[in-house]
Amino acid sequence: MDHAHGAVAEERPYGVPTRKLVMWLFIIADAATFGAILFAYGYVRVGSADWTKPFAFYPTIVNAIVMTFVLLTSSLTMLGGVRAASAGRPTAIRWLGATILLGITFAGLHLREWFSMIHEGWSPSHNPLGGSPLFGAAFFGITGLHMLHVLGGVIAIGVVTLLYRRGRLDASYIETTGLYWHFVDLVWMFVFPLVYLLNAR
Amino acid sequence: MVSATTNPSPGMRFYVLLWAGLLGIVIVEVLLTYAHLRPLSLTISLVALAVIEAGVALMYFMHLKYERRILFWSLIPALVFVLVMFDHFWPDAFRVRSMRLPATSSSTAAGGG
Repeated sequence: MDHAHGAVAEERPYGVPTRKLVMWLFIIADAATFGAILFAYGYVRVGSADWTKPFAFYPTIVNAIVMTFVLLTSSLTMLGGVRAASAGRPTAIRWLGATILLGITFAGLHLREWFSMIHEGWSPSHNPLGGSPLFGAAFFGITGLHMLHVLGGVIAIGVVTLLYRRGRLDASYIETTGLYWHFVDLVWMFVFPLVYLLNAR
Repeated sequence: MVSATTNPSPGMRFYVLLWAGLLGIVIVEVLLTYAHLRPLSLTISLVALAVIEAGVALMYFMHLKYERRILFWSLIPALVFVLVMFDHFWPDAFRVRSMRLPATSSSTAAGGG
């Protein structure tokens, strides 16, 4: 028992709560995952003789610009939520609600684009334009993994907001969830230029 | 319970400026895309701008700048090392390029790379 108390009393080497440190470790591991998938995309792109560049400025690139704006803005509202919660202000709920709405908007725009492409005949194994089918595999793989992170983030923010509102969680949980949300935004900063802009006609 | 943060951080106005700056970088990326640059130049430019955006998000939005430095030095060099190791295989992609099969109109899988 004494040993246990001694361990608890030790100073944290990183000066952050364990929960936050674990989130940082998860983020670094997840960044390596996205790094690997983006490098693989670059590899198959260079290695494919007939790579397709299918994206027209309108609607695809314009849609991606709007999605980028929405996700960047959601990072700002998340910051507002973290700051308000840290200060104990009730406006935190509104900031977090706005973040959830923006996340849902991003996913909605993304799904609309996906369905439009699928309607045109795109799939992870088929290229309706006759070029490398690896384009579909890369596009749906990378954007699908990112969208999964967005949807997971929206659910996580929703649950944390609800429990924070009921007083069952404190502001540190919102900060940790915010870290994850900013990371999702950070990944999009690479997906947008590498997957969309480099494949613009 | 542990408080959310004890570190100093700038006000909301500063974050709005950063947000606007990041949006500005996005616009520059789009303009560069349609500026008819060579593919290699465009790729390097876009990756460089994305790295700048990621750095801003990491240091300010994710507050890494306001944490103890040991957190930065424990996490980021390890990630960079992993990414550099991924990059190590890039020349192999160009080798595949010289070995690949000729393109067909209905390209199916090209024989396992």
